[in-house]
Amino acid sequence: MKLMRTLTAALLGMTMLTGVTYAATPANTLVIADALDDIITLDPGEVGEVGGIMAAKQIYQTLIAPDVKDPTKIYGVLAESWTVSEDGKTFTFKMNPAAKFASGNPVTAHDAEFSLRRVVKMASRSAFLLTQLGLSAENVEERIKATDDATLVFEIGEPYAESFVLYALSSHSGGIVDSKLVMENEVDGDMGNAWLKQANSAGSGPYVLGTWTPKQSIMLNRNENFWQEAPAMERIFFQHVPESAAQRLLLEKGDIDIANKLGADDHASIAGNADVKTLDGSSGVIYYFGLNVRNEALSKPDFVKAMKYLVDYEGIEQTIGQGTIKTHQTFVPEGFLGAIDHNPYSLDIEKAKELIASSGVQTPVKLDAVVWNTPPYTDFAQAAQATMAQAGVELNLLVVDGQQWLERYRSADLDIWVGLWGPDYPDPHSNAKAFAVNSEDTPDGSSSLADRFGWDAGDISPRTMAALRENDNEKRRQMYEEIQLEHTDISPFLYMFQEVRRVAVRANVENLELGLTLSDDRYWKATKN
Amino acid sequence: MAAIASPNLVRLKRIANGLVTTAITLLGLVALTFFIGRVIPIDPVLSIVGEKATPEAYDKVFYELGLDKPVWEQFTSYTLKLLQGDFGTSFTTTRPVLTDLLSFFPATLELATLGLVLGVVLGIPAGVASAYWHDKWPDHLIRIIGLIGYSVPIFWLGLVGLYVFYYKLSWVAGPGQLDVFYVGVVKPITNSILIDSLLRGEWEVFWNAVSHIILPVCLIGYFSMAYLSRMTRSLMLDQLTQEYVLTARLKGASELEVVLGHALRNAAIPLVTIIALSYGGLLEGSVLIETVFGWPGIGNYIASSLFRGDINAVLGGTFLVGAIFILLNQLSDVLYATLDPRTREASK
Repeated sequence: MKLMRTLTAALLGMTMLTGVTYAATPANTLVIADALDDIITLDPGEVGEVGGIMAAKQIYQTLIAPDVKDPTKIYGVLAESWTVSEDGKTFTFKMNPAAKFASGNPVTAHDAEFSLRRVVKMASRSAFLLTQLGLSAENVEERIKATDDATLVFEIGEPYAESFVLYALSSHSGGIVDSKLVMENEVDGDMGNAWLKQANSAGSGPYVLGTWTPKQSIMLNRNENFWQEAPAMERIFFQHVPESAAQRLLLEKGDIDIANKLGADDHASIAGNADVKTLDGSSGVIYYFGLNVRNEALSKPDFVKAMKYLVDYEGIEQTIGQGTIKTHQTFVPEGFLGAIDHNPYSLDIEKAKELIASSGVQTPVKLDAVVWNTPPYTDFAQAAQATMAQAGVELNLLVVDGQQWLERYRSADLDIWVGLWGPDYPDPHSNAKAFAVNSEDTPDGSSSLADRFGWDAGDISPRTMAALRENDNEKRRQMYEEIQLEHTDISPFLYMFQEVRRVAVRANVENLELGLTLSDDRYWKATKN
Repeated sequence: MAAIASPNLVRLKRIANGLVTTAITLLGLVALTFFIGRVIPIDPVLSIVGEKATPEAYDKVFYELGLDKPVWEQFTSYTLKLLQGDFGTSFTTTRPVLTDLLSFFPATLELATLGLVLGVVLGIPAGVASAYWHDKWPDHLIRIIGLIGYSVPIFWLGLVGLYVFYYKLSWVAGPGQLDVFYVGVVKPITNSILIDSLLRGEWEVFWNAVSHIILPVCLIGYFSMAYLSRMTRSLMLDQLTQEYVLTARLKGASELEVVLGHALRNAAIPLVTIIALSYGGLLEGSVLIETVFGWPGIGNYIASSLFRGDINAVLGGTFLVGAIFILLNQLSDVLYATLDPRTREASK
């Protein structure tokens, strides 16, 4: 036993010796804990994951960007000004002559031409943001043209709402790269993709890529050639900390400045700590149940409506959400053009029973619901399971991992999908296209959520596309409002909540600007004191 | 009758036998993981191009991955490449899988090796003591400690450990391998931060790495101590009731000699296999510990690749883990021969 004692003493002694603590992060570095294992590329031409977009947004600038405080306002970044032709199909951008890349090269219209054409030609996962404007590899040379160093002419296939086109260009796919530098590093006609993917960057933004160690960390260094106001922080360090509780401890201890992935429980437990504060931002993420109308029972409109009365929205919002969600029963997220405050459904078992009786469906009914094996999906599903059972609707929860969850919904062999939808750009069409348009109406023919769940949206589909083409913002807003009232009433989408974007930061972090979507945070404005 | 083979020839034959068995087992492993990778309901193309990609984007990747070819052809080309050390490219890290393995495995190797050393150093004496004082208080105490280590979920212990030793007491550093100050300071040689910082003489980095690794190592050490002490106890109990122990005592051997010199020596033979296999288990990486501590180890690498449908990475990782198990098994066979005279005799 003496040996044991000595060993224990030695071990304890060692921990004490090495227990050097650093009370704060380096003053010149913003340290952010997040889950980074989804990032597969940082090339703006193909980036698509939340974490990747977040990092790329600090490196690459777009022609224009929406104002975070009022998304209907769009300001020029690399473009100084722009005009739209009478027919609404030709956008002419005047480049800002002061703009230059981190390499020192000036940002010209030729760089913009190269970058936007590149996205379409690479046909990557993010190309849809531009191809939905009627661009394709065949017509891109014609439709995107730099007429001189300062002028970019951008033509679209059909006259879409001006704001929609600008939002699409302000998305991550609209990031402009240094064409000279990128083409110097081209290998086998990849337009610099291999070079930009992981180890290098060629942007004009406030930061340049230092190192990206996949699934571990990303280090961004200040762009010393930045043409606008230099960011206060010399470095941004993203650290992979997947576990919420670990993020919380690191934040409270002062080893990180920002915790991006805290769960509701951890938010609640830091509430009393004066060293940290929370910021609420906007997140367009909508949680919903998709009901597959190919199912016999779910093909009955009254039964679908009954389902909408069988969820305890208020209860879930309070007990499970704890401030991270709010009830939202329409497809346009709050904060976007056309959003309305319209939540007609609440838990009403009796009403649901009446509706089921009038639908002619015999209870008990068994329905398979595919659920991602991660909170909050599992919690939502279990809560709904309990209330639905009271009206004779038995939910059989199939809890699966993320890949299978996506597979099942793609193959459409399910009754209910417990899902989410996050907009790619802050325009109502990003959601409207998914929930309210059938594929025969879309120019690129891609299948929408409506198609996935077998729903014929009827005249809602062409009306939604008409709203996309409406250039008068006030009229456009009205069109979306009307569409949503009807859509929430008759569609097989059981909308539940909009996510409240909540980020916990150290009290000394100031001027952090959270973006309009999940991955749009603007870290270059942040300071620490 | 044939002439008696020389001992050298026998040894050579044994090595050759071992190599052939190893090669066949590895091939079987590759085949198994490859075909499992093909039947699981994950579309590797969709994992890469994503939900919103156009059909052209889908087709491009489909052909790039060679998925249009028959499965046996895919398998042959995969195996041939593997023989040249080419595990393919991981799409989630955009690097060759071999580079990934070389970068993630050392982090697990550090944890597992130190954890196992701790487990052996504490677990075996504890098991011996437990058996010696069978059913007395030291036995009860050791068994209770072991039971806790064995039955409490390790991620929970990890979080409690972090809360107490990192957050409250500040004895150790938090999740991650290094503080932000030290990231990127040491140029990698072996990709093991402990070893590299020592080789480069970066003492500050070394001590920082130690303060980060010590808590997860203690947890893994505790976990393997719990297991090893239980195994040692039962093996020792078996030995201590044997007649030769009584004989030794009657002959006047000291207690220390009886317990350590005789009983433990015999118990050590099966213990070697147990230790080797539990080392293998640790080298697989503990996904839970790695997640709680944000540790960039092989367990996390394989798990997150699996969730993303990154088949090349999963195959590469599985191959590595399988190879380690086979290697450790062979190693414990060799140790067996050294420890147990009977196996030496039998081989002659």
